[in-house]
Amino acid sequence: MSKPIFERVDQLATSGTTIMALNALDFVIPGQWNNLTGFNTTIRTVTGESDEGLIQQIGERAVALYNDESQGYQRAMWLYETVDNASGALGMAAMANKIGQDISFLGFLDKLTPKPEKAQSIDLCVKLVVELVAYCQINGIPGDSIGDFLAALGDYGGESLMRMVALICFDGLIPLGPDFVDKGLSTIANLTPKELEGNQTFKGVSNLIPGGDAAGKLGFIGQSFDSVKGWMTGFVSDKGLTQENALGNLQKFVQVSGDKLDYVGAFLDVSVKYYSHTGTQTLARRLIERAIAEI
Amino acid sequence: MKFDRPSMIHPLFSQWRRAAAALMLVMVLFLTGCQPKTPSPYAQIQKETAKPGAVAVAKQATQGSEFNKLFPKPEAGYERVFSQEKKGFAEAKLKKAGQDVAMLSVSDTSSVPTAAAKYANATTKIGGYPSVTVGNTLTSVLVGKYQVKVQSKVPTFTAADRATWIEKFDLRGIEKLG
Repeated sequence: MSKPIFERVDQLATSGTTIMALNALDFVIPGQWNNLTGFNTTIRTVTGESDEGLIQQIGERAVALYNDESQGYQRAMWLYETVDNASGALGMAAMANKIGQDISFLGFLDKLTPKPEKAQSIDLCVKLVVELVAYCQINGIPGDSIGDFLAALGDYGGESLMRMVALICFDGLIPLGPDFVDKGLSTIANLTPKELEGNQTFKGVSNLIPGGDAAGKLGFIGQSFDSVKGWMTGFVSDKGLTQENALGNLQKFVQVSGDKLDYVGAFLDVSVKYYSHTGTQTLARRLIERAIAEI
Repeated sequence: MKFDRPSMIHPLFSQWRRAAAALMLVMVLFLTGCQPKTPSPYAQIQKETAKPGAVAVAKQATQGSEFNKLFPKPEAGYERVFSQEKKGFAEAKLKKAGQDVAMLSVSDTSSVPTAAAKYANATTKIGGYPSVTVGNTLTSVLVGKYQVKVQSKVPTFTAADRATWIEKFDLRGIEKLG
């Protein structure tokens, strides 16, 4: 049995590299992400209710929903966690956790290996697909039309939007530069199924990516990335996001060096677990919203 | 007979006493460290629902997609964005000027019998169906085996607004699904 949802939410970090790095992105969506932690605190905040008996009822229903494996919530959690761990070398991740808050980029620069652009581009695409698959596991496919579904996706806010901002900045703009969307698309277009199978991040989550065999999955990844490229480029230009301002804001919170951008990508991979952190928050919010409606 | 008190304590005894004190200290630390943490208020439900085969959604529950077309239609000034659709449950956000003002939902109470039971004491009705108000933000009706609920997300969306929006659901249509 996996860890109970209330424990996961109670144990969400309130400080550390992940939180500092996400706070560094506040300039993109000011005030939209608050690091909401603690199961009951989340229930109070999401529902606006304060009666202890009611909170307990909501919490109990949320716990039961999460525990029912057929409901997809545990699969979504697994996806968020796996994509975080697979994208950074596991040994490095363990080291980063040990060092914790005092992690220093320069301190272990010599232990980082820059990630080749191709691997980084695949990571970006796979992570985006994981978001779509996890979204459907959690929410189903809301509404009756493609329009309804796109409206639901377009309604991202709070921690879900922060996760997308982090994806754009930490896995797109900073390591790949301003044309990260094109790089992602052309990498996927020229990739063979065999190369995809060799990618660490893909290997981790491949089971839950639709498409059947590797070729089918590659097709699904390409189509998914293609369908959200408009949203991503629009978002980057609306917010005036550049590699420089993303990095500049990151440097205010986390000590990273601007002249070693390929290392910065590798550093973020091993020390910033933004998918599992914000993913747990998203999951808790959706469970609570459903629970309060069902009790 | 008068004893010189300090000389009463044999050096060995003094050492033993020091050792005993140290041992006691270790025991105290050990015991306090091992004291069980206050169990989570969710420990019991976790135990009950984490068993193999435990289900949170009834097998016979209606698919959420059946509810979609019976939701209130978007109208001037309001936007309706579907947000969840699972077995036995569908939910949409009601937005006004880009802000979430309410959550609209339909759920099948066959998964949560206590949800239906609370209407036994209902003294009010909305659209001809028994209604209850819970907490500060919730109004709902029981329509056959389905619960139709509206939750305020901002204080300006009042209990009266909630009742108005409940009536905008196709309540008869929902009842017929059962």
